[in-house]
Amino acid sequence: MGPIFNASDEWSYVVALVIGIFFGLILESAGFSSSRKLAGVFYGYDFVVLRVFFMAALTAAVGLAFFDYFDLIDLSKIYVNPYFIGPTIVGGVIMGLGFIIGGFCPGTSACAAAIGKIDAMIFIGGIVIGAIIFDVAYPLYSEFYESGNKGAQLIYEVMGISKEWFLLIFVVFAIAVFYITAYIQKLVSKNVNKY
Amino acid sequence: MENTKKYMNSYLAGVLLGVVILFSFYLTREGLGASGAYKRIAAEIENVVAPSYTHSENSHSSSYFKDGLNPLKNRLVFMVIGVFIGGFVSGTIAGRVKLTLEHSPRITSKKRAIAALIGGALFGIGASFGRGCTSGAGLDGMATLATSGFVVVMAIFGSGYIFAYFFRKLWI
Amino acid sequence: MEDKRYIKKRYIFINVIMIGLTLWLLLLPKRDSSTELQADKLLLEIIDDSRFLSTDYVANRIINDDKYILLVDVRSPEEFNTFHLKGAMNIPIDSLLNKDETGEYVWDSYLNTDIYKVIFYSNGSVYSGQAWMLTKRLNFKNNYILKGGLNEWFSTIMLPQKPAANSSESDFAIYEARKGAAIYFGGGTVSVENKSSNSNSNVPVVSKKKKSGAGGGC
Repeated sequence: MGPIFNASDEWSYVVALVIGIFFGLILESAGFSSSRKLAGVFYGYDFVVLRVFFMAALTAAVGLAFFDYFDLIDLSKIYVNPYFIGPTIVGGVIMGLGFIIGGFCPGTSACAAAIGKIDAMIFIGGIVIGAIIFDVAYPLYSEFYESGNKGAQLIYEVMGISKEWFLLIFVVFAIAVFYITAYIQKLVSKNVNKY
Repeated sequence: MENTKKYMNSYLAGVLLGVVILFSFYLTREGLGASGAYKRIAAEIENVVAPSYTHSENSHSSSYFKDGLNPLKNRLVFMVIGVFIGGFVSGTIAGRVKLTLEHSPRITSKKRAIAALIGGALFGIGASFGRGCTSGAGLDGMATLATSGFVVVMAIFGSGYIFAYFFRKLWI
Repeated sequence: MEDKRYIKKRYIFINVIMIGLTLWLLLLPKRDSSTELQADKLLLEIIDDSRFLSTDYVANRIINDDKYILLVDVRSPEEFNTFHLKGAMNIPIDSLLNKDETGEYVWDSYLNTDIYKVIFYSNGSVYSGQAWMLTKRLNFKNNYILKGGLNEWFSTIMLPQKPAANSSESDFAIYEARKGAAIYFGGGTVSVENKSSNSNSNVPVVSKKKKSGAGGGC
Protein backbone atom coordinates (compact mmCIF):
# COMPACT_ATOMS: atom_id res chain seq x y z
CA MET A 1 0.00 0.00 0.00
CA GLY A 2 1.23 3.43 -0.92
CA PRO A 3 2.85 5.77 -0.37
CA ILE A 4 5.78 3.55 -1.18
CA PHE A 5 8.75 5.70 -0.27
CA ASN A 6 9.44 7.79 2.76
CA ALA A 7 10.41 11.44 2.25
CA SER A 8 13.81 10.80 3.80
CA ASP A 9 14.32 7.73 1.68
CA GLU A 10 17.11 8.18 -0.86
CA TRP A 11 14.95 6.49 -3.45
CA SER A 12 12.43 9.30 -3.24
CA TYR A 13 15.02 11.55 -4.90
CA VAL A 14 15.25 9.23 -7.87
CA VAL A 15 11.48 8.99 -8.04
CA ALA A 16 11.21 12.79 -7.80
CA LEU A 17 13.65 13.14 -10.69
CA VAL A 18 11.66 10.76 -12.88
CA ILE A 19 8.38 12.42 -11.95
CA GLY A 20 9.98 15.78 -12.69
CA ILE A 21 10.97 14.56 -16.15
CA PHE A 22 7.38 13.58 -16.91
CA PHE A 23 6.17 16.84 -15.40
CA GLY A 24 8.50 18.78 -17.71
CA LEU A 25 7.58 16.69 -20.74
CA ILE A 26 3.87 17.30 -20.27
CA LEU A 27 4.22 21.00 -19.46
CA GLU A 28 6.36 21.59 -22.50
CA SER A 29 4.21 19.62 -24.90
CA ALA A 30 1.07 21.33 -23.60
CA GLY A 31 2.63 24.66 -24.51
CA PHE A 32 3.43 25.88 -21.02
CA SER A 33 6.88 26.94 -22.13
CA SER A 34 5.45 30.04 -23.82
CA SER A 35 4.73 32.97 -21.55
CA ARG A 36 2.37 34.49 -24.08
CA LYS A 37 0.35 31.32 -24.18
CA LEU A 38 0.25 31.26 -20.38
CA ALA A 39 -0.78 34.89 -20.08
CA GLY A 40 -3.53 34.22 -22.59
CA VAL A 41 -5.72 32.87 -19.85
CA PHE A 42 -6.05 36.36 -18.40
CA TYR A 43 -6.96 37.99 -21.69
CA GLY A 44 -9.23 35.30 -23.00
CA TYR A 45 -7.27 34.35 -26.08
CA ASP A 46 -5.90 31.09 -24.75
CA PHE A 47 -7.32 29.06 -21.89
CA VAL A 48 -4.93 26.15 -22.17
CA VAL A 49 -3.55 26.79 -18.66
CA LEU A 50 -6.96 26.60 -17.10
CA ARG A 51 -7.84 23.41 -18.94
CA VAL A 52 -4.63 21.56 -18.18
CA PHE A 53 -4.65 22.79 -14.62
CA PHE A 54 -8.18 21.78 -13.72
CA MET A 55 -8.05 18.59 -15.72
CA ALA A 56 -4.89 17.55 -13.88
CA ALA A 57 -6.31 18.38 -10.46
CA LEU A 58 -9.52 16.52 -11.25
CA THR A 59 -7.76 13.44 -12.55
CA ALA A 60 -5.46 13.32 -9.55
CA ALA A 61 -8.27 13.90 -7.06
CA VAL A 62 -10.50 11.24 -8.58
CA GLY A 63 -7.53 8.92 -8.93
CA LEU A 64 -6.61 9.35 -5.28
CA ALA A 65 -10.19 8.62 -4.27
CA PHE A 66 -10.08 5.36 -6.23
CA PHE A 67 -6.67 4.43 -4.89
CA ASP A 68 -8.01 5.02 -1.42
CA TYR A 69 -11.12 2.96 -2.07
CA PHE A 70 -9.15 -0.02 -3.31
CA ASP A 71 -6.66 0.25 -0.47
CA LEU A 72 -3.77 1.15 -2.75
CA ILE A 73 -2.86 4.24 -0.81
CA ASP A 74 -3.13 5.40 2.77
CA LEU A 75 -4.56 8.89 2.44
CA SER A 76 -3.77 9.73 6.04
CA LYS A 77 -0.07 9.52 5.20
CA ILE A 78 -0.31 11.96 2.33
CA TYR A 79 0.97 15.47 2.74
CA VAL A 80 -1.87 17.97 2.74
CA ASN A 81 -0.85 21.60 2.56
CA PRO A 82 -2.02 23.38 5.71
CA TYR A 83 -4.40 26.29 5.35
CA PHE A 84 -3.27 29.56 6.93
CA ILE A 85 -6.12 31.93 6.09
CA GLY A 86 -4.27 35.24 5.73
CA PRO A 87 -0.91 34.07 4.38
CA THR A 88 -2.53 31.76 1.83
CA ILE A 89 -4.72 34.52 0.40
CA VAL A 90 -1.97 37.16 0.46
CA GLY A 91 0.45 34.71 -1.11
CA GLY A 92 -2.05 33.85 -3.81
CA VAL A 93 -2.73 37.50 -4.63
CA ILE A 94 0.99 38.28 -4.88
CA MET A 95 1.49 35.20 -7.05
CA GLY A 96 -1.34 36.31 -9.33
CA LEU A 97 0.33 39.66 -9.75
CA GLY A 98 3.64 37.96 -10.40
CA PHE A 99 1.98 35.71 -12.94
CA ILE A 100 0.49 38.57 -14.93
CA ILE A 101 3.72 40.58 -14.91
CA GLY A 102 6.20 37.77 -15.31
CA GLY A 103 4.15 35.44 -17.46
CA PHE A 104 5.33 32.24 -15.83
CA CYS A 105 4.96 30.26 -12.68
CA PRO A 106 7.89 28.42 -11.08
CA GLY A 107 7.22 25.06 -12.72
CA THR A 108 6.60 26.40 -16.20
CA SER A 109 9.59 28.75 -16.04
CA ALA A 110 11.85 25.75 -15.48
CA CYS A 111 10.65 23.97 -18.61
CA ALA A 112 10.65 27.21 -20.62
CA ALA A 113 14.21 27.94 -19.55
CA ALA A 114 15.14 24.42 -20.63
CA ILE A 115 14.18 25.18 -24.23
CA GLY A 116 16.09 28.41 -24.30
CA LYS A 117 13.61 31.09 -23.25
CA ILE A 118 15.74 33.88 -21.86
CA ASP A 119 12.77 35.55 -20.15
CA ALA A 120 12.15 32.33 -18.25
CA MET A 121 15.76 32.25 -17.05
CA ILE A 122 15.39 35.83 -15.84
CA PHE A 123 12.12 34.86 -14.19
CA ILE A 124 13.88 32.07 -12.27
CA GLY A 125 16.49 34.56 -11.11
CA GLY A 126 13.60 36.73 -9.98
CA ILE A 127 12.08 33.90 -7.93
CA VAL A 128 15.35 33.34 -6.11
CA ILE A 129 15.67 37.08 -5.45
CA GLY A 130 12.06 37.18 -4.26
CA ALA A 131 12.65 34.29 -1.88
CA ILE A 132 15.69 36.08 -0.47
CA ILE A 133 13.70 39.31 -0.07
CA PHE A 134 11.01 37.37 1.74
CA ASP A 135 13.53 35.86 4.09
CA VAL A 136 15.43 39.08 4.81
CA ALA A 137 12.23 40.88 5.73
CA TYR A 138 10.83 37.82 7.49
CA PRO A 139 10.93 39.27 11.04
CA LEU A 140 8.49 41.97 9.89
CA TYR A 141 5.72 39.50 9.24
CA SER A 142 6.76 36.31 10.95
CA GLU A 143 3.72 36.62 13.18
CA PHE A 144 1.40 37.08 10.24
CA TYR A 145 3.03 34.15 8.47
CA GLU A 146 2.02 31.84 11.30
CA SER A 147 -1.43 33.33 11.82
CA GLY A 148 -4.82 31.92 10.96
CA ASN A 149 -3.68 28.33 11.03
CA LYS A 150 -6.53 26.01 10.14
CA GLY A 151 -4.35 22.95 9.78
CA ALA A 152 -4.56 20.44 6.98
CA GLN A 153 -8.16 21.31 6.33
CA LEU A 154 -10.12 19.54 3.62
CA ILE A 155 -12.59 21.50 1.56
CA TYR A 156 -15.42 18.98 1.54
CA GLU A 157 -15.30 18.86 5.33
CA VAL A 158 -15.64 22.64 5.46
CA MET A 159 -18.58 22.46 3.08
CA GLY A 160 -20.06 19.65 5.11
CA ILE A 161 -20.55 17.23 2.24
CA SER A 162 -19.08 13.86 1.44
CA LYS A 163 -15.93 13.55 -0.63
CA GLU A 164 -17.75 11.78 -3.44
CA TRP A 165 -20.35 14.49 -3.78
CA PHE A 166 -17.71 17.15 -3.73
CA LEU A 167 -15.80 15.41 -6.53
CA LEU A 168 -18.95 15.24 -8.64
CA ILE A 169 -19.64 18.94 -8.11
CA PHE A 170 -16.00 19.70 -8.90
CA VAL A 171 -16.11 17.74 -12.15
CA VAL A 172 -19.38 19.27 -13.32
CA PHE A 173 -18.14 22.75 -12.41
CA ALA A 174 -14.85 22.23 -14.25
CA ILE A 175 -16.54 20.97 -17.39
CA ALA A 176 -18.88 23.96 -17.34
CA VAL A 177 -15.82 26.22 -17.04
CA PHE A 178 -14.18 24.39 -19.96
CA TYR A 179 -17.14 25.07 -22.21
CA ILE A 180 -17.60 28.67 -21.14
CA THR A 181 -13.91 29.50 -21.57
CA ALA A 182 -13.78 27.73 -24.93
CA TYR A 183 -16.67 29.93 -26.01
CA ILE A 184 -14.94 33.09 -24.73
CA GLN A 185 -11.74 32.05 -26.46
CA LYS A 186 -13.61 31.76 -29.73
CA LEU A 187 -15.06 35.23 -29.36
CA VAL A 188 -11.81 36.87 -28.29
CA SER A 189 -9.67 35.13 -30.86
CA LYS A 190 -11.51 36.97 -33.59
CA ASN A 191 -10.32 40.29 -32.19
CA VAL A 192 -6.82 39.46 -31.04
CA ASN A 193 -4.04 38.85 -33.47
CA LYS A 194 -2.82 35.32 -33.16
CA TYR A 195 0.85 35.26 -32.52
CA MET B 1 6.32 28.63 -35.46
CA GLU B 2 5.37 27.04 -38.77
CA ASN B 3 7.85 24.23 -38.75
CA THR B 4 7.30 23.25 -35.14
CA LYS B 5 5.01 20.53 -33.98
CA LYS B 6 1.62 21.39 -32.63
CA TYR B 7 1.05 21.42 -28.92
CA MET B 8 -0.64 18.51 -27.28
CA ASN B 9 -4.38 18.74 -26.72
CA SER B 10 -4.91 20.42 -23.38
CA TYR B 11 -7.40 17.87 -22.05
CA LEU B 12 -5.08 15.02 -22.83
CA ALA B 13 -2.16 16.92 -21.26
CA GLY B 14 -4.29 17.60 -18.19
CA VAL B 15 -5.19 13.96 -17.73
CA LEU B 16 -1.57 12.88 -18.19
CA LEU B 17 -0.41 15.50 -15.72
CA GLY B 18 -3.05 14.31 -13.28
CA VAL B 19 -1.75 10.75 -13.61
CA VAL B 20 1.77 12.02 -12.90
CA ILE B 21 0.51 13.79 -9.76
CA LEU B 22 -1.32 10.64 -8.73
CA PHE B 23 1.83 8.57 -9.04
CA SER B 24 3.84 11.21 -7.27
CA PHE B 25 1.51 10.88 -4.29
CA TYR B 26 1.43 7.12 -4.57
CA LEU B 27 5.22 6.79 -4.64
CA THR B 28 6.49 9.63 -2.49
CA ARG B 29 3.37 10.76 -0.55
CA GLU B 30 3.88 14.28 -1.88
CA GLY B 31 2.80 15.86 -5.10
CA LEU B 32 4.56 18.09 -7.56
CA GLY B 33 6.40 21.25 -6.71
CA ALA B 34 8.84 23.73 -8.03
CA SER B 35 9.11 26.87 -5.93
CA GLY B 36 10.49 24.89 -3.00
CA ALA B 37 13.60 24.18 -5.05
CA TYR B 38 14.13 27.88 -5.76
CA LYS B 39 13.55 28.75 -2.13
CA ARG B 40 16.21 26.26 -1.21
CA ILE B 41 18.62 27.73 -3.74
CA ALA B 42 17.87 31.14 -2.22
CA ALA B 43 18.59 29.74 1.24
CA GLU B 44 21.89 28.34 0.03
CA ILE B 45 22.85 31.73 -1.45
CA GLU B 46 21.92 33.45 1.81
CA ASN B 47 24.00 30.90 3.64
CA VAL B 48 27.04 31.86 1.58
CA VAL B 49 26.48 35.62 1.81
CA ALA B 50 25.20 36.00 5.35
CA PRO B 51 25.51 32.72 7.24
CA SER B 52 24.87 34.25 10.65
CA TYR B 53 21.51 35.66 9.63
CA THR B 54 20.48 32.56 7.76
CA HIS B 55 20.99 30.39 10.80
CA SER B 56 19.37 32.83 13.21
CA GLU B 57 15.85 32.68 14.57
CA ASN B 58 14.89 35.66 12.42
CA SER B 59 15.41 33.84 9.18
CA HIS B 60 12.74 31.66 7.76
CA SER B 61 15.31 29.82 5.70
CA SER B 62 16.95 28.58 8.88
CA SER B 63 14.51 25.68 8.90
CA TYR B 64 16.17 24.36 5.76
CA PHE B 65 19.41 23.98 7.67
CA LYS B 66 17.94 22.36 10.77
CA ASP B 67 19.96 19.48 12.18
CA GLY B 68 22.74 20.16 9.70
CA LEU B 69 20.58 19.43 6.71
CA ASN B 70 21.66 20.45 3.27
CA PRO B 71 18.83 22.50 1.76
CA LEU B 72 19.65 21.31 -1.74
CA LYS B 73 19.38 17.67 -0.82
CA ASN B 74 15.66 17.61 -1.29
CA ARG B 75 13.25 15.88 -3.59
CA LEU B 76 11.94 19.17 -4.97
CA VAL B 77 15.41 20.12 -6.19
CA PHE B 78 15.64 16.80 -8.01
CA MET B 79 12.16 17.30 -9.35
CA VAL B 80 13.03 20.67 -10.89
CA ILE B 81 16.13 19.15 -12.44
CA GLY B 82 13.76 16.57 -13.89
CA VAL B 83 11.49 19.32 -15.23
CA PHE B 84 14.49 20.84 -17.01
CA ILE B 85 15.37 17.51 -18.57
CA GLY B 86 11.77 16.74 -19.52
CA GLY B 87 11.20 20.19 -20.96
CA PHE B 88 14.37 19.97 -23.00
CA VAL B 89 13.54 16.53 -24.36
CA SER B 90 10.04 17.56 -25.35
CA GLY B 91 11.29 20.81 -26.86
CA THR B 92 13.93 18.95 -28.86
CA ILE B 93 11.43 16.46 -30.22
CA ALA B 94 9.05 19.23 -31.24
CA GLY B 95 11.85 21.42 -32.59
CA ARG B 96 11.20 24.27 -30.21
CA VAL B 97 14.64 24.60 -28.61
CA LYS B 98 15.93 28.04 -29.48
CA LEU B 99 17.53 30.77 -27.46
CA THR B 100 14.87 33.50 -27.61
CA LEU B 101 13.39 36.21 -25.51
CA GLU B 102 9.73 35.93 -26.20
CA HIS B 103 7.76 39.13 -25.95
CA SER B 104 4.78 40.91 -27.34
CA PRO B 105 5.61 42.89 -30.49
CA ARG B 106 4.47 46.01 -28.66
CA ILE B 107 7.19 45.98 -26.04
CA THR B 108 10.96 45.82 -26.22
CA SER B 109 13.06 42.90 -25.10
CA LYS B 110 14.42 44.99 -22.27
CA LYS B 111 10.98 45.75 -20.98
CA ARG B 112 10.06 42.07 -21.13
CA ALA B 113 13.23 41.17 -19.23
CA ILE B 114 12.46 43.65 -16.46
CA ALA B 115 8.87 42.44 -16.25
CA ALA B 116 10.08 38.85 -16.01
CA LEU B 117 12.44 39.76 -13.20
CA ILE B 118 9.78 41.63 -11.21
CA GLY B 119 7.22 38.92 -11.87
CA GLY B 120 9.67 36.30 -10.72
CA ALA B 121 10.47 38.21 -7.54
CA LEU B 122 6.76 38.61 -6.78
CA PHE B 123 6.27 34.92 -7.35
CA GLY B 124 9.15 34.16 -5.01
CA ILE B 125 7.58 36.27 -2.27
CA GLY B 126 4.06 35.02 -2.95
CA ALA B 127 5.07 31.38 -3.00
CA SER B 128 6.76 31.87 0.37
CA PHE B 129 3.63 33.37 1.88
CA GLY B 130 1.35 30.84 0.27
CA ARG B 131 3.55 27.91 1.33
CA GLY B 132 3.85 26.76 -2.25
CA CYS B 133 3.34 27.91 -5.81
CA THR B 134 0.76 27.09 -8.44
CA SER B 135 1.91 23.50 -8.56
CA GLY B 136 2.89 22.85 -4.95
CA ALA B 137 0.03 24.67 -3.28
CA GLY B 138 -2.53 24.89 -6.08
CA LEU B 139 -2.32 21.63 -8.01
CA ASP B 140 -1.38 19.38 -5.11
CA GLY B 141 -3.85 21.18 -2.88
CA MET B 142 -6.72 20.65 -5.29
CA ALA B 143 -5.68 17.05 -5.91
CA THR B 144 -5.81 16.31 -2.17
CA LEU B 145 -8.97 18.43 -1.87
CA ALA B 146 -7.25 20.70 0.66
CA THR B 147 -8.93 24.00 1.40
CA SER B 148 -5.61 25.79 0.96
CA GLY B 149 -5.34 24.54 -2.62
CA PHE B 150 -8.70 25.91 -3.69
CA VAL B 151 -8.18 29.20 -1.86
CA VAL B 152 -4.75 29.78 -3.36
CA VAL B 153 -5.95 28.97 -6.88
CA MET B 154 -8.86 31.37 -6.51
CA ALA B 155 -6.50 34.04 -5.16
CA ILE B 156 -3.97 33.56 -7.98
CA PHE B 157 -6.49 33.62 -10.81
CA GLY B 158 -8.63 36.26 -9.11
CA SER B 159 -5.78 38.69 -8.69
CA GLY B 160 -4.47 37.77 -12.13
CA TYR B 161 -7.76 38.83 -13.71
CA ILE B 162 -7.95 41.99 -11.60
CA PHE B 163 -4.44 43.11 -12.50
CA ALA B 164 -4.60 41.86 -16.09
CA TYR B 165 -6.12 45.10 -17.28
CA PHE B 166 -3.20 47.18 -16.01
CA PHE B 167 -0.57 45.05 -17.65
CA ARG B 168 -2.34 44.29 -20.92
CA LYS B 169 0.32 46.17 -22.89
CA LEU B 170 2.84 43.53 -21.85
CA TRP B 171 0.93 40.82 -23.65
CA ILE B 172 -1.51 42.03 -26.28
CA MET C 1 -8.86 26.53 -32.80
CA GLU C 2 -9.66 26.00 -36.42
CA ASP C 3 -12.30 23.52 -35.41
CA LYS C 4 -15.83 24.84 -35.49
CA ARG C 5 -16.60 23.28 -32.14
CA TYR C 6 -15.34 24.82 -28.92
CA ILE C 7 -13.97 21.53 -27.80
CA LYS C 8 -12.68 19.02 -30.24
CA LYS C 9 -15.07 16.15 -30.52
CA ARG C 10 -12.63 13.38 -29.91
CA TYR C 11 -11.71 14.79 -26.52
CA ILE C 12 -15.24 15.16 -25.22
CA PHE C 13 -15.01 11.54 -24.13
CA ILE C 14 -12.50 12.60 -21.47
CA ASN C 15 -15.17 14.74 -19.84
CA VAL C 16 -17.68 11.93 -20.08
CA ILE C 17 -15.24 9.52 -18.45
CA MET C 18 -14.57 11.95 -15.61
CA ILE C 19 -18.26 12.30 -14.84
CA GLY C 20 -18.68 8.55 -15.12
CA LEU C 21 -15.83 7.90 -12.70
CA THR C 22 -17.12 10.28 -10.08
CA LEU C 23 -20.61 8.84 -10.36
CA TRP C 24 -19.17 5.38 -9.93
CA LEU C 25 -17.29 6.59 -6.86
CA LEU C 26 -20.51 7.99 -5.49
CA LEU C 27 -22.32 4.70 -5.94
CA LEU C 28 -19.61 2.49 -4.46
CA PRO C 29 -20.62 1.13 -1.08
CA LYS C 30 -19.12 2.92 1.89
CA ARG C 31 -16.29 1.33 3.76
CA ASP C 32 -14.41 1.87 6.95
CA SER C 33 -11.15 3.68 6.85
CA SER C 34 -8.39 1.13 6.69
CA THR C 35 -5.97 2.96 8.99
CA GLU C 36 -7.89 1.94 12.06
CA LEU C 37 -7.68 -1.43 13.58
CA GLN C 38 -10.42 -3.70 12.28
CA ALA C 39 -13.18 -4.59 14.72
CA ASP C 40 -12.32 -8.28 14.93
CA LYS C 41 -8.70 -7.59 15.78
CA LEU C 42 -9.71 -4.99 18.31
CA LEU C 43 -11.99 -7.52 19.96
CA LEU C 44 -9.12 -10.00 20.28
CA GLU C 45 -6.98 -7.33 21.86
CA ILE C 46 -9.71 -6.49 24.35
CA ILE C 47 -10.10 -10.11 25.40
CA ASP C 48 -6.37 -10.33 25.92
CA ASP C 49 -5.55 -9.26 29.47
CA SER C 50 -1.95 -8.27 28.87
CA ARG C 51 -2.85 -4.60 28.50
CA PHE C 52 -3.18 -4.33 32.28
CA LEU C 53 -0.10 -3.72 34.34
CA SER C 54 -0.32 -4.29 38.08
CA THR C 55 0.36 -1.49 40.51
CA ASP C 56 3.22 -3.56 41.93
CA TYR C 57 4.89 -3.80 38.55
CA VAL C 58 4.51 -0.09 37.88
CA ALA C 59 5.74 0.87 41.35
CA ASN C 60 8.74 -1.37 40.85
CA ARG C 61 9.51 0.27 37.49
CA ILE C 62 9.24 3.77 38.96
CA ILE C 63 11.47 2.93 41.91
CA ASN C 64 14.05 1.44 39.59
CA ASP C 65 13.92 4.61 37.57
CA ASP C 66 13.02 2.80 34.38
CA LYS C 67 13.55 5.22 31.52
CA TYR C 68 11.44 3.15 29.21
CA ILE C 69 8.09 3.61 30.80
CA LEU C 70 5.95 6.66 30.26
CA LEU C 71 3.14 7.28 32.70
CA VAL C 72 0.28 9.18 31.15
CA ASP C 73 -2.30 10.76 33.43
CA VAL C 74 -5.54 11.04 31.44
CA ARG C 75 -7.41 12.96 34.15
CA SER C 76 -8.07 16.68 34.12
CA PRO C 77 -5.18 19.10 34.72
CA GLU C 78 -6.70 20.08 38.10
CA GLU C 79 -6.67 16.51 39.30
CA PHE C 80 -3.21 16.09 37.87
CA ASN C 81 -1.94 19.07 39.81
CA THR C 82 -3.40 17.82 43.05
CA PHE C 83 -1.70 14.47 42.77
CA HIS C 84 0.07 12.46 40.13
CA LEU C 85 2.48 9.60 39.97
CA LYS C 86 6.13 10.46 39.80
CA GLY C 87 7.29 11.31 36.30
CA ALA C 88 3.82 11.19 34.82
CA MET C 89 2.74 13.54 32.08
CA ASN C 90 -0.76 14.89 31.82
CA ILE C 91 -2.79 14.30 28.67
CA PRO C 92 -6.47 14.81 29.51
CA ILE C 93 -8.50 12.21 27.69
CA ASP C 94 -10.44 14.76 25.67
CA SER C 95 -7.23 16.10 24.15
CA LEU C 96 -5.68 12.70 23.56
CA LEU C 97 -6.44 12.61 19.86
CA ASN C 98 -5.87 16.29 19.08
CA LYS C 99 -4.25 16.89 15.74
CA ASP C 100 -1.81 19.60 14.78
CA GLU C 101 -1.89 21.68 11.63
CA THR C 102 -0.37 18.95 9.51
CA GLY C 103 -3.05 16.48 10.56
CA GLU C 104 -0.69 14.55 12.79
CA TYR C 105 -1.71 13.47 16.23
CA VAL C 106 -0.14 15.91 18.66
CA TRP C 107 0.81 13.21 21.13
CA ASP C 108 1.88 10.76 18.46
CA SER C 109 5.55 11.09 19.32
CA TYR C 110 4.81 10.17 22.94
CA LEU C 111 2.13 7.58 22.59
CA ASN C 112 3.03 5.75 19.41
CA THR C 113 6.56 4.50 19.86
CA ASP C 114 8.32 1.20 20.06
CA ILE C 115 10.58 2.51 22.76
CA TYR C 116 8.35 3.31 25.69
CA LYS C 117 5.79 1.37 27.51
CA VAL C 118 3.05 3.94 27.68
CA ILE C 119 0.97 3.36 30.80
CA PHE C 120 -2.35 5.16 31.02
CA TYR C 121 -3.88 5.76 34.40
CA SER C 122 -6.89 7.52 35.83
CA ASN C 123 -8.65 7.26 39.17
CA GLY C 124 -10.15 3.92 38.29
CA SER C 125 -9.71 1.96 35.10
CA VAL C 126 -12.52 3.53 33.13
CA TYR C 127 -10.88 6.57 31.58
CA SER C 128 -7.52 4.92 31.18
CA GLY C 129 -9.35 2.05 29.50
CA GLN C 130 -10.98 4.50 27.13
CA ALA C 131 -7.63 6.11 26.39
CA TRP C 132 -6.18 2.70 25.64
CA MET C 133 -9.08 1.88 23.34
CA LEU C 134 -8.73 5.16 21.47
CA THR C 135 -5.06 4.67 20.82
CA LYS C 136 -5.40 0.96 20.11
CA ARG C 137 -7.95 1.67 17.43
CA LEU C 138 -5.37 3.84 15.74
CA ASN C 139 -2.94 0.98 15.98
CA PHE C 140 -0.59 2.74 18.38
CA LYS C 141 1.91 0.31 19.81
CA ASN C 142 3.08 -0.50 23.30
CA ASN C 143 0.25 1.04 25.28
CA TYR C 144 -0.90 -0.30 28.65
CA ILE C 145 -3.27 0.49 31.50
CA LEU C 146 -2.49 0.77 35.18
CA LYS C 147 -4.79 -1.87 36.61
CA GLY C 148 -7.28 -0.38 39.04
CA GLY C 149 -5.86 3.08 38.55
CA LEU C 150 -4.96 5.39 41.40
CA ASN C 151 -7.55 3.87 43.71
CA GLU C 152 -5.78 0.55 43.54
CA TRP C 153 -2.47 2.37 43.75
CA PHE C 154 -3.44 3.82 47.13
CA SER C 155 -4.90 0.61 48.50
CA THR C 156 -1.94 -1.51 47.43
CA ILE C 157 1.17 0.63 47.27
CA MET C 158 0.55 3.55 49.57
CA LEU C 159 -1.43 1.77 52.26
CA PRO C 160 -0.53 -1.88 51.94
CA GLN C 161 -2.53 -4.30 54.02
CA LYS C 162 -0.62 -6.81 56.01
CA PRO C 163 -1.59 -10.24 54.74
CA ALA C 164 -3.19 -12.65 57.14
CA ALA C 165 -0.81 -14.76 59.14
CA ASN C 166 -1.69 -17.90 57.22
CA SER C 167 -1.02 -16.36 53.84
CA SER C 168 1.51 -17.76 51.45
CA GLU C 169 5.10 -16.70 51.42
CA SER C 170 4.69 -14.85 48.13
CA ASP C 171 1.98 -12.70 49.66
CA PHE C 172 4.40 -11.65 52.35
CA ALA C 173 7.04 -10.95 49.75
CA ILE C 174 4.61 -8.69 47.93
CA TYR C 175 3.75 -7.00 51.18
CA GLU C 176 7.41 -6.34 51.94
CA ALA C 177 7.91 -4.88 48.49
CA ARG C 178 4.86 -2.71 48.92
CA LYS C 179 6.02 -1.49 52.27
CA GLY C 180 9.29 -0.50 50.68
CA ALA C 181 7.45 1.19 47.88
CA ALA C 182 5.21 3.02 50.31
CA ILE C 183 8.26 4.45 51.98
CA TYR C 184 9.71 5.41 48.61
CA PHE C 185 6.55 7.16 47.54
CA GLY C 186 6.09 8.74 50.94
CA GLY C 187 3.10 6.56 51.59
CA GLY C 188 1.66 5.27 54.75
CA THR C 189 0.41 8.72 55.18
CA VAL C 190 -0.62 9.96 51.81
CA SER C 191 1.52 12.86 50.82
CA VAL C 192 0.84 14.87 47.76
CA GLU C 193 3.57 15.07 45.25
CA ASN C 194 3.53 18.50 43.80
CA LYS C 195 6.63 18.78 41.76
CA SER C 196 4.67 19.43 38.62
CA SER C 197 7.27 21.88 37.43
CA ASN C 198 9.83 19.31 36.53
CA SER C 199 7.61 16.30 36.32
CA ASN C 200 7.19 16.62 32.60
CA SER C 201 10.66 17.75 31.81
CA ASN C 202 12.26 14.41 32.46
CA VAL C 203 10.15 12.72 29.83
CA PRO C 204 12.29 12.47 26.77
CA VAL C 205 10.44 13.03 23.56
CA VAL C 206 11.02 10.74 20.67
CA SER C 207 11.02 13.16 17.82
CA LYS C 208 9.84 11.30 14.82
CA LYS C 209 10.68 12.63 11.44
CA LYS C 210 8.06 15.25 10.82
CA LYS C 211 6.17 14.44 7.70
CA SER C 212 5.87 17.95 6.42
CA GLY C 213 8.82 19.73 4.95
CA ALA C 214 9.89 23.08 6.23
CA GLY C 215 7.40 25.81 5.37
CA GLY C 216 5.92 25.54 1.92
CA GLY C 217 6.11 22.19 0.28
CA CYS C 218 6.08 23.52 -3.24
